[in-house]
Amino acid sequence: MPVNLKPVDVAVVGLGAAGGVAVLPLVRAGLKVAGIEAGTWMDPHNDFHPDEIHNNRRHGVTTVPKVQREIPTVRANPGEVARQGTASPMMNAIGGTSIHYWAQSWRLKPWDFQARSETLRRYGAGAIPNGSTLEDWPLTYQDLERFYDTIEHEVGVSGKAGNIQGQLDPRGNIFEGPRSREYPMPPLRGSGFTDHMAETARKLGWHPFAPPAAINSQTFQGRSGCVYHGYCSSGGCHVSAKGSTAVTTIPAALKTKHLTIFDNAQVTRIVAGTDGKVTGVLFLRSGREYFQPAKAVLLGSYVFENTRLLLLSKSKAYPKGLANNHGQVGRHFFAHYDSWAGNSMKALFPFDINIWYGLPAQGSCVDDFADDSFNHAGLGFIGGTSMHVYTEVHPISAAESERFGKAPAWGSAWKKYVRENAARVAQCYLQTSTLPYESGYLDLDDQVRDPLGDPVCRVTTGGPKENEVRAGQHAHGKMEQWFREAGAVAVSRGNITVAGVTTHTYGGTRMGDNPETNVTDKWGFSHEAPNLGIVGGSVFGTSGARNPTLTIQALAWRTAEHLVKNWKAII
Amino acid sequence: MPPEPAETTPDAISRRTLLAAATFVPLSALLATAQTAPVLPPAQTKALSAFVDRLIPADELGAGALDAGVMNYIERALAGAYANRRAGLVEGLLALDDYARRKYGFVFSDLSADQRDAVIGAAETGSADGFANSSAFFASVRSLTMEGMFGDPFYGGNRNYAGWDLIRYPGPRLAVGPPEQAMKVEIKPVRMSARGGDHAR
Repeated sequence: MPVNLKPVDVAVVGLGAAGGVAVLPLVRAGLKVAGIEAGTWMDPHNDFHPDEIHNNRRHGVTTVPKVQREIPTVRANPGEVARQGTASPMMNAIGGTSIHYWAQSWRLKPWDFQARSETLRRYGAGAIPNGSTLEDWPLTYQDLERFYDTIEHEVGVSGKAGNIQGQLDPRGNIFEGPRSREYPMPPLRGSGFTDHMAETARKLGWHPFAPPAAINSQTFQGRSGCVYHGYCSSGGCHVSAKGSTAVTTIPAALKTKHLTIFDNAQVTRIVAGTDGKVTGVLFLRSGREYFQPAKAVLLGSYVFENTRLLLLSKSKAYPKGLANNHGQVGRHFFAHYDSWAGNSMKALFPFDINIWYGLPAQGSCVDDFADDSFNHAGLGFIGGTSMHVYTEVHPISAAESERFGKAPAWGSAWKKYVRENAARVAQCYLQTSTLPYESGYLDLDDQVRDPLGDPVCRVTTGGPKENEVRAGQHAHGKMEQWFREAGAVAVSRGNITVAGVTTHTYGGTRMGDNPETNVTDKWGFSHEAPNLGIVGGSVFGTSGARNPTLTIQALAWRTAEHLVKNWKAII
Repeated sequence: MPPEPAETTPDAISRRTLLAAATFVPLSALLATAQTAPVLPPAQTKALSAFVDRLIPADELGAGALDAGVMNYIERALAGAYANRRAGLVEGLLALDDYARRKYGFVFSDLSADQRDAVIGAAETGSADGFANSSAFFASVRSLTMEGMFGDPFYGGNRNYAGWDLIRYPGPRLAVGPPEQAMKVEIKPVRMSARGGDHAR
């Protein structure tokens, strides 16, 4: 029998990028919150080092027990055997993957929320790709603007506005949706190379800008500015300049004394009563089982676990899994066409570009070919790609890097090549907006189980889609033009495909007005279990051409605020 | 895989300390024993040394893998963080010697440099007849060699910063200003371990 804990108002499952934000508006309203997190606190002094072997080779920051025991299996199509990968890209910790992410903090574009109706309006019904389950989001960019603004100021985002209430500023991104005010901090500085790339983009008639990041460009709320030391990716920040929820919203929530954190605690089931309302969560901690009663539950783990926990939580009211009486849990799954899907390029310059230091969020970005910034007539796809060149290269990866057919992979000839060129290879990050399709979904694996005996999540990607592959190829052409114009003497392209288990996955509990095709309503609450909210990328209906975290956090804040404002009606 | 090499964790030290106290053997003697216990059988150590020596040979551009302590790095890794890769590596090294014997009549380490290069090339491209999974074996050894050559000297390789000097990596800095991020300049190298201490000897 589980140990019964003292009831709380809200149980939040997972204190990562999403749950770690959602707790703050709840406790500020005086609600008693239990935050149940599979990982624990990380220590900036003991856990985070400028050490490639520790961070990037042995994954010393990101290798934590729970996610590694339940890595999803992946297959392209039903009928194939789904294979389990060797590592999860996500981590458990207080702060979750926001501990080690790149911290690029984008707003989606107005188009991303209305991609279906905007495509119909501009290009007609024939432009919607076959098999796509694309719907408009149940909210607009304008609806979310206030929450984007809140996160930018609560967490701290560095950037330069390109559109303040319709007033365009070419120092920022002129293709962004209108924002109510400037960022709280100026953008991170550029490096010699990224400044050179920005200048080149301007020569091409494009509109480069320094992308927004939840990384302090100067001291912010008592946390240091970035020191640009070059070990941001897959490493935690030793000066807490990176705005993970572990150093921003979670400590702010703890100050109210209304948040209790259960760390190293694995939620195994969400419990529902016969009336269809959820009553709390079961979790394991140090070998004991606990029941945390709660008047409402916010589910805030990653995309795979959000779906898996719902499907595992069967009850009388929900025989096919919690909130799944319409069979929509796990549907509309998709993953970004970004470097995980081979959508990457490298370039060789005939001079030292010196991008050793810095961080992936330090860069120059071009949005001219993203989303609906350009006319798609005759191109054969909708959506597009944001192009970002950035810094941070570590010595082992530099030595192993692309040789552009100019040298062997070892021996004296390789030594000569790598001596000359290790400081001359540029990288880029291309993110293509991605649509959901009927053929992409998550369910429970019928073979592979975690150590508790529960099936792991199974990803069926549906294979690469023509629309996204064409959009990626279009971006490859533009990116090559950018690199060549900047002086590159060789450019390599990845082979664009589809990815399954990545840090940029979406869907499974899609948000929409229609309960027949969506799991959550426009506030992020289940259409079926009224006191169950779901936060995270699992509610997205389109990806945009951007890193998802800021949108995840804006939505999480909005879902939590909705719960506060409608407390009596929801519980 | 465990996040840290076992021999560097405080736990490992304390276990040794306890052991030393229990048996009245000086700690230094225990540590010396631990360091000399072979991680790989002698024949495979020879084969691996001969392999990494050709991947990154000593030449006019400076130290090779052996001078840079790559074998020391690999042995420490296999004794700790990469213990789960040890058996596969031994298997690959046995297959390497088998192939060398079939092809040239001698084990890999007894071949001439040119012959060793030919064997490595065949393993890399998967064209070595009867050498199962040779390209995966090649990739694994190359990856370990790169880590030993270019990783932080804290882990036992990159002796005298030979790897960082080779590729002109300017070294770990605690804070970086615009001059260290300029293009077309030589950045003054910092030569220290990010973990502190003097590991590069």
